[in-house]
Amino acid sequence: MGKVVGIDLGTTNSLVAFVTDGTPKVIRDSSGDGLVPSVVSVGDEGTIFVGREAQRRLLTDAQRTVYSVKRFMGKGRDDVQDETSHFPFRIGGEGGVLRIGVGDKEFTPPEISAFILRELKHRAEAFFAEQGEIDNEVDRAVITVPAYFNDAQRTATRDAGRIAGLEVLRIINEPTAASLAYGLDKRHAGLIAVYDLGGGTFDISILRVEDGVFQVLATNGDTHLGGDDIDNLLIDRVLGGHMGPPLQGHMGPPLGHTGPTLQGHMGSPLQGPAPTASGLVQGPAPTASGPVQGPAPTASGSVHGPAPTASGSVQGPAPNVGADPRVGPSPEAVQEVRKAVIQAKIDLSDRDETEIRIDDGRPEGLRFTKKITRAEVEALIAPIVERTLEPCRQALADAGLEASQIDEVVLVGGSTRIPLVRRKVEELFGRTPHSELNPDEVVALGAAVQADILITGNRDMLLLDVTPLSLGIETMGGITSKIIMRNSTIPATGSEMFTTAVDSQTAVDIHVLQGERELVSDNRSLARFKLRGIPPMPAGLPRVQVQFQIDANGILSVTASELRTEIEQTVEVKPSYGLTDEQVEQMLMDSFENAEADFAARLLIEARNEAENVIHATEKALRASDIDQIENEELAAGERKKIESVLAGLKMVLNSSDRETIQKWTQALNDNTRHLAEVMMNRSVQAALSGKNVNEM
Amino acid sequence: MSSSTTTPTLQACRECGAGAPLDAHFCPQCTKILPLSRQGDYFSFLGLPRKLNIDAADLEQRFRALSRQFHPDFFYNATPAERRASLERSSYLNDAYRTLRQPISRIEYLLKLEGLGASGPSEASKQVPPGLLEEVFALNEELDEIRELRANGAAATEWQARLERARQPIEAKRVQHEMQLQELAGQWDAGGGPDALKALRDQFLERNYIHNLLAGIERELTSA
Repeated sequence: MGKVVGIDLGTTNSLVAFVTDGTPKVIRDSSGDGLVPSVVSVGDEGTIFVGREAQRRLLTDAQRTVYSVKRFMGKGRDDVQDETSHFPFRIGGEGGVLRIGVGDKEFTPPEISAFILRELKHRAEAFFAEQGEIDNEVDRAVITVPAYFNDAQRTATRDAGRIAGLEVLRIINEPTAASLAYGLDKRHAGLIAVYDLGGGTFDISILRVEDGVFQVLATNGDTHLGGDDIDNLLIDRVLGGHMGPPLQGHMGPPLGHTGPTLQGHMGSPLQGPAPTASGLVQGPAPTASGPVQGPAPTASGSVHGPAPTASGSVQGPAPNVGADPRVGPSPEAVQEVRKAVIQAKIDLSDRDETEIRIDDGRPEGLRFTKKITRAEVEALIAPIVERTLEPCRQALADAGLEASQIDEVVLVGGSTRIPLVRRKVEELFGRTPHSELNPDEVVALGAAVQADILITGNRDMLLLDVTPLSLGIETMGGITSKIIMRNSTIPATGSEMFTTAVDSQTAVDIHVLQGERELVSDNRSLARFKLRGIPPMPAGLPRVQVQFQIDANGILSVTASELRTEIEQTVEVKPSYGLTDEQVEQMLMDSFENAEADFAARLLIEARNEAENVIHATEKALRASDIDQIENEELAAGERKKIESVLAGLKMVLNSSDRETIQKWTQALNDNTRHLAEVMMNRSVQAALSGKNVNEM
Repeated sequence: MSSSTTTPTLQACRECGAGAPLDAHFCPQCTKILPLSRQGDYFSFLGLPRKLNIDAADLEQRFRALSRQFHPDFFYNATPAERRASLERSSYLNDAYRTLRQPISRIEYLLKLEGLGASGPSEASKQVPPGLLEEVFALNEELDEIRELRANGAAATEWQARLERARQPIEAKRVQHEMQLQELAGQWDAGGGPDALKALRDQFLERNYIHNLLAGIERELTSA
């Protein structure tokens, strides 16, 4: 038997964890990083890149790179019409199944997610091999989903696992998983609220914990609300949205001058999407963010771009330019802005002011610096944070509780690092929320705990979750008749009696829905079933009992039997937004044929990861508030300049495919920053010794 | 307070063939989980008498204890038959817990069990209950006027306030009915037999009628 892991398949990042000696641990790469960015990119030769490398390719080859695919899981094309403009990749498909166009290939969201899962599987297998395990194969996993995911989204996640070659032991809800990880120390008992604001989804779950049983009383949320929305607001702002003129007067000097010798290493020519893929929406529509105002190249000599990147080498259709006379920034430039605003957002979690710095190292690229304050960002994102509060109130009402009755509040998800979010949650529940565990990792840890419970049969803890949405069927006049109410503990069953309308009728059509609304059209269509094999009888005589079963994964199955004859009916499932079992099987077969990144490509990726770590650390050091003072007092003349120029050099070569050059520059940057790192370390040690807060310096 | 119909008193374990009591969850002989039998009900499943006053803490405790016994989490490595039995029993337990937790659904379930069940979900009185004639008449008049107000573009605050005022007497009736239900439930528990049950049923249908009235007002309030 192979290994079993817990996987947090996130909108922004994914993680894999396992339990050893009763303790869950996140599996990290050699640099200690546990997060695998949920980004998948397809190289020119069809090589699939996942994680950090794919994330880098967003800046060089945005149209062949897919991120936030979780937002598309279990969705049809019509569901996402409004937001295709924000994504650099093409979104299309016919009927229920949405397809994402990357280069000349098309993938369904479960297939894209499967690439991420396979990467996590490899990471775990490499780790187990390193630990000296003889059988290091990872073949089973518990995968987490937002509590508010509907049946189609859960099924799509399970399909992704199967396509990745994993037996999905269980789909569990993210907030509940987090509560398991928190519950390990057994201190927590009573009523707990888990507030989970991730990259793309929001969940609130109210639990009662007693005798080791984690019983969810109510859950609510929004599967389309998260850090992504905050990022989009900031991007719109930077690119000249509605919030006043962008970049006012804060233009910085050109950053990182690079020597002419490096020019040969510049990013590979971009290849646009092949124009042939039929039925696909041509994204991105760069016009969506309103008038694109800048930074116009004329504003000052120092501002470059957003130039149409690598002009001569772009092939394929220009993104939607024809429809609008204004030429927007290239997808790569938008990604550059996205990266910068995310960094600024992170910075503002522990300081009041920061700079949005954009510099992609390319001479023709986008380049500017803009000061931004926490207050400004908070004003901008307040409506998003506000949108999380109504689901909290609804969940409390469903649980029959007042906010004041909640004993503990747990924060989960990267977006809960935002001070405004913490304040609002604290206000609502009237208590300081817990955040002892890393909000990025706690879900994966909980998934690993659940995987361990399933495998070992350990009965110390038991998780009893609920179905987030009511399940119903269509009745006369397009009305939904509810069969299993929301917040029912799962597994749960419900049944409904059907009969025939015409003499000798042998089949009945049934339409299954999920949602709280009365009209069928306002709810989510899950599937259409055809009951066949009803014995021919006069109309109204057959009594067909249809049994709906929601299993512990929150996934529905249907059985039926005619009660008079006790004949089992065949139920043909036609999912409204999903893959058939045959399609999933085929995708699993195809995935074996898909070439994966070969050994050399892996080495290159590792070199780039290493380089990125050093770049990140250096940039962080150079952003320190006392950097000028340090330079004056402790650094040699020209030392900072040297660091800056080597940094720029490394960034130039980062995207080349020359591994040795990347390693050479990484080494150079390492050597040149060693002294600065020592100085900074000394200063913080001294500050700590003299009782001063390092952050105050 | 057992059911009046005669039912078999044993079920057979499919694993070892031994006989097991009807309300047993596991075979006394081979300790395997038993498939869910068609006999039995939510009360007996939870080891409770067929009574309407249930101690909430006791119910919670039974629910947790039984969940620990047959949740599918603990049968992952078991045979397919055991896994199916675990799923069936867990589902049934959850359904039972959900039904018996709330006094209203508990009464509805008992009525069904005792053969006085409603024909459809949440069936209500067909006719206006005599004790409510006055209120229903006043409410309908008021609703007509409010709709007219709205049609003429009255301010939301104005018609909402009127609707709220119209709601209050009905809400008072609901509270009153639920208290009476509580009383009748006590009579059933004390051995009131068929008469208590019949009274309970009539009161229950009236309560549902009121409930539907309130839901109608709620819809009126939320419709834009």
